[in-house]
Amino acid sequence: MQNNHHDHDHEESEEILAQKKAARPDIQRDNKYWANLEQYNNDPEFWKAAEAEFQSSPLRGEKEEGWARREFLKLMGASVAMASAGCIRRPVQKIVPYNKQPEEVVLGVANYYTSAFYDGLEPLSVLVKTKEGRPLKVEGHHEFPLSEGGTSARSQAALLSLYDPERIKGPRKNIFNEKRSNKDTIQIKWDDLDDQIVEQLKKGQVAVLTGSLPSPSTRSIIKEFCQAFGGQHYSWEPLNLSDVSVGQKLSYGEAAIPYYHFDEAKTIVSIDADFLGAWHTPVTNSRQFSKGRKNVDKMSRLITFDSNYSLTGANSDIRFKIKPSQQITVAMGLAYELIVKQGKSSYASNSLVKSTLENFSTAAADLGIDPAVFAEVANNLWDSRGESVVVAGGLPTMNGQQSSLQIAVNFLNAVLGNDGKTIDYKFDWSNSLSASWDGLLALIEKMQAGQVKTLVIHRTNPVYALPDSLGFQEALKKVDVIITTSDRMDEVAQHSHYVAPDNHIMENWGDIESTTGLLSIHQPTLRPLWDTRSFQLSLMTWAYLADRGPKRLLAYESYFDYLKNYWKEEIYPQAGKGKNFETFWQELLQNGYVGSAPQGAGSRSFKTEALNQVKKVAATDGYELVLYPTVQLADGSQSNIAILQELPDPVTKIVWDNYVSCSMATAEKLKCKEGDLVKITVGTRDMTLPLHIQPGLHDSVLAVAVGYGRTHAGSIANGVGQNAYQFANISKDSIQFSGQNVGITKLGKRVQLATTAGHHTMEGRQIVAEATIKDFKKDQAAGLHKHHIWSMWSGHQYNGNKWGLAVDLNSCTGCSACVIACQTENNVPAVGKAYVLQGREMHWIRIDRYYKGDMANAEAVFQPVMCQHCDNAPCETVCPVLATVHSDEGTNDMAYNRCVGTRYCSNNCPYKVRRFNWFNYRKEIPNPVHMSFNPDVTVRIRGVMEKCTFCIQRIRAARNTSKLEGRPLKDGDVKTACQTSCPTDALIFGDMNDPNSRVSKAFAEPRSYGLLEEWGAKPSVRYMTKIRNNDQESASKDGGAHAEA
Amino acid sequence: MAQFILLVVMGLSLTACKFQYGIGYNKGYQPEQPIPFDHSLHVGKHNIQCQYCHNQVERSTHSNIPSLQSCMNCHLQVKTDSPYITKIREAYDAGQSINWVKVHMLPDHVRFNHSAHLNKGVSCQTCHGEIEKMQVVYQYSDLSMGWCINCHREQSSKAPLNCSTCHY
Repeated sequence: MQNNHHDHDHEESEEILAQKKAARPDIQRDNKYWANLEQYNNDPEFWKAAEAEFQSSPLRGEKEEGWARREFLKLMGASVAMASAGCIRRPVQKIVPYNKQPEEVVLGVANYYTSAFYDGLEPLSVLVKTKEGRPLKVEGHHEFPLSEGGTSARSQAALLSLYDPERIKGPRKNIFNEKRSNKDTIQIKWDDLDDQIVEQLKKGQVAVLTGSLPSPSTRSIIKEFCQAFGGQHYSWEPLNLSDVSVGQKLSYGEAAIPYYHFDEAKTIVSIDADFLGAWHTPVTNSRQFSKGRKNVDKMSRLITFDSNYSLTGANSDIRFKIKPSQQITVAMGLAYELIVKQGKSSYASNSLVKSTLENFSTAAADLGIDPAVFAEVANNLWDSRGESVVVAGGLPTMNGQQSSLQIAVNFLNAVLGNDGKTIDYKFDWSNSLSASWDGLLALIEKMQAGQVKTLVIHRTNPVYALPDSLGFQEALKKVDVIITTSDRMDEVAQHSHYVAPDNHIMENWGDIESTTGLLSIHQPTLRPLWDTRSFQLSLMTWAYLADRGPKRLLAYESYFDYLKNYWKEEIYPQAGKGKNFETFWQELLQNGYVGSAPQGAGSRSFKTEALNQVKKVAATDGYELVLYPTVQLADGSQSNIAILQELPDPVTKIVWDNYVSCSMATAEKLKCKEGDLVKITVGTRDMTLPLHIQPGLHDSVLAVAVGYGRTHAGSIANGVGQNAYQFANISKDSIQFSGQNVGITKLGKRVQLATTAGHHTMEGRQIVAEATIKDFKKDQAAGLHKHHIWSMWSGHQYNGNKWGLAVDLNSCTGCSACVIACQTENNVPAVGKAYVLQGREMHWIRIDRYYKGDMANAEAVFQPVMCQHCDNAPCETVCPVLATVHSDEGTNDMAYNRCVGTRYCSNNCPYKVRRFNWFNYRKEIPNPVHMSFNPDVTVRIRGVMEKCTFCIQRIRAARNTSKLEGRPLKDGDVKTACQTSCPTDALIFGDMNDPNSRVSKAFAEPRSYGLLEEWGAKPSVRYMTKIRNNDQESASKDGGAHAEA
Repeated sequence: MAQFILLVVMGLSLTACKFQYGIGYNKGYQPEQPIPFDHSLHVGKHNIQCQYCHNQVERSTHSNIPSLQSCMNCHLQVKTDSPYITKIREAYDAGQSINWVKVHMLPDHVRFNHSAHLNKGVSCQTCHGEIEKMQVVYQYSDLSMGWCINCHREQSSKAPLNCSTCHY
């Protein structure tokens, strides 16, 4: 009887449940913006995943998937010394005070030192925050004229390369057999190493191979070192800019890597130059580019011709897909349009120019672009002549014809009168980005001829980043002794006799010349962690022991002494401005730099005869290869940092892998689906990679990222992806990365690519707002769907500060610096590929990327989403233990020690910003990674929910400082970690109760809207509509994201 | 009866940590220090200001244990023949330190800011007791959350009561 009753009850409840389900309001889904292919195709699987809070059973994990657990254990995690405050007598802890109190150290109060970051793409001046002599965070250097406080994801992660447990702890020696095939290394003392190396160096025929060296004093040391031993200095790295420099030389007679004034340009055309992503100096470019778009009425227009879906392409107002062989056609076609067709510019009367351009008369048709649209691009450029800029470069343009492309682009800029205005060749990057292919090829030739007895390799990795076909490794065997300064037993170190590990840049003094006349200095932030020695001191020591070389090289005991003297002799006379040297030096250390931003240069005359070599590239039928560096790993030198590997690619959102990108049409032709393993073949080389279907890609393009497939970078990087540098085809006559004919075959196996696109969706509701400039000029609130919002509640009272964050979607480029900044500030762990596949990534701030439009020509929008700190927070009302509660400052607080892990809050969060600690990600962390943790933020343990706190620790610190100084908090005192890292100033944090604060003003703009605002959660984060500066105009005023009327 | 006693004992032991005032919070913890530094002598008799030694307490979240140098400021002249001073001097000369035993300890998820309280006018003795009378320092308050909140709840203190005041 009882049983029956129970059953009946059960039936009834199911009935009620069904009724309740039926009574639920329909979710207003909108597929105009789509996160991934599944959403585009309205796949039921996508909607199922969007409705479920967790993608996998909470029980899945540790037991069944031992491998996955092991995987994250080798990542960054940490032991938490949780002192038991219970009945058990707590463990006895000791306090060990200083012997002598260092003057500048106040326990718990941060010191900032000027430092630098350099990974081959950009010399960046940064500040390093230290506490008790321990570097904790990389911050932007706001006074520095180029980056103006901007940072990149890679520079933010540099902290973890300092604490990388796989750095070698002291000098090592390789015990080679005759064939140099075994890899037995032994420890060696510095003294012994020095003696042995000096004996070798005395034999002469020395070569020094380095990456680009932005440090003038280091260049001087190398020069003097080479004088001492009859050596020669070569400079090479994989992502060098010799194409730009050679193109400038051919066009104007003098090599240069010009500074582009993206802030002053009204029209910017980029032909495969990913200047916001992973071309040269992306932080500076992003900063300057965003300045030209802050005033929406006068914002610049970015037009890209993109053979890969680059970050720059994703940010463009108008994007055209091309393939590498069409790059020259674009530049020359635009010139043809202006000069021949429309008879504009003084070159219209030049017969040589005209005859060259005639070859490109069918450019628009060749490119498959509507001729009227193509002409419009040309007209845009002409209308803003003198205020426009055309750029091209990077690996996707390295198709053997890069010099011709550069000439074509330079010509176009000359026609438009941009040279000397938006293109500043006097303010030149050549010194800091000096690496070139010529250097490397000359060195290889010399090595093969047996003319190099000793080779010193510093900060470049040719064994990894060169294709085997070039024969660098064979050439190495003809060198008697190879010395490298690698910080780990990497690919180069495997082939070296001696490893004399260099200090990390944060452990070292140094200087950086960014562009001509703009120099910065960086200080060490801690004593070297291990028994390492700076590269500079190594060279100085060897010269000293051999007693050879100029006096200056031998006179100093440390690199610092050399550096200071170098500045006194070489830089102070010009930059000193009449101050005495000590004053100058102290000011320099305080400011971090001398010099100023570029002021413009005069125009040069373009050598029209250079156009002779610009030929149309013959059209090919097959697929063309595009190799590109990614924003997260760039050249691959930092790939042993787990949080960089787990940083979603800004465009594809895939982590922990590289893959072949192709268009939907190509995938259908190949009968392939996402994740299918394919074999791609270039010449005699082939590689097996998973396939990724990328919207907006040219149908003839197969794109692969470089920087993956390391073999000796460390346990995190090794074996992740494949080394696509192997596809490069390098000879004296042509440097070819992209544009090569590539074959592709399906292998019939499938792997899962770990992507975060489609994770944490808001049930597919439309949350991103966008308008075209024409719509915006008619109605500043264009793109927003206004609601009248009412509430039965009177709401909270916020009498003091009320914190809010404004996110300008029009400025955000999706570069993801904020994601890494947040991770290092808030001790957020990486979880590993297996758990990303289950939707368990821990990022407190995520950048959603949406595509819009059809599959073939999709536009992209980026939207950073963090905890919205709602006034009426849905998470707060469902927490059974009051672990997440509201503060009187408008923040939504999380008390970790109260949380019991019901995860109700996450389930009830409409924005999907809460993250659950499924495991003790930090528990078994290797020494010394725990030193990177921010002591101001609790390290969370298993079973605890966490999320963005608005950097509450920074609010507390700023408030305390203001109290100690006896003044109220002022606008700008509190800056969140994401905000300080942002190169485009897209994030504004501040007090909403202060009507004059920047955030209040941003909130008052007509473009401002809150996510899912009509639900009345009253988020404290508000977004500002993205404006696309194209010529489109929407007919009606419907759609758009929702905002309060 | 035996059952009743058992119940009482079990009840007491189960609730001891949470609800019995003072138990489980290390109140009265008075460890032996490597050097029997006498606060009653230095503070009580010689009237040395707290901040002379704990000199960063007004600027920092932490109250620092003085460096050995601070000790030597006086003890280069004063009482140089004491075996304990000799111990300090030897450590100081050797560039080493003294491993003091930590008396006051908060869990890792609690943030307490000394400078904020000091600048509000909370005296050291309010939390640390009559240090000037202690020969060996012991934990005077229980440092429990309830104890913190008691002050923060007082209207006159104007102290914030948000979770994130102390937990983040």
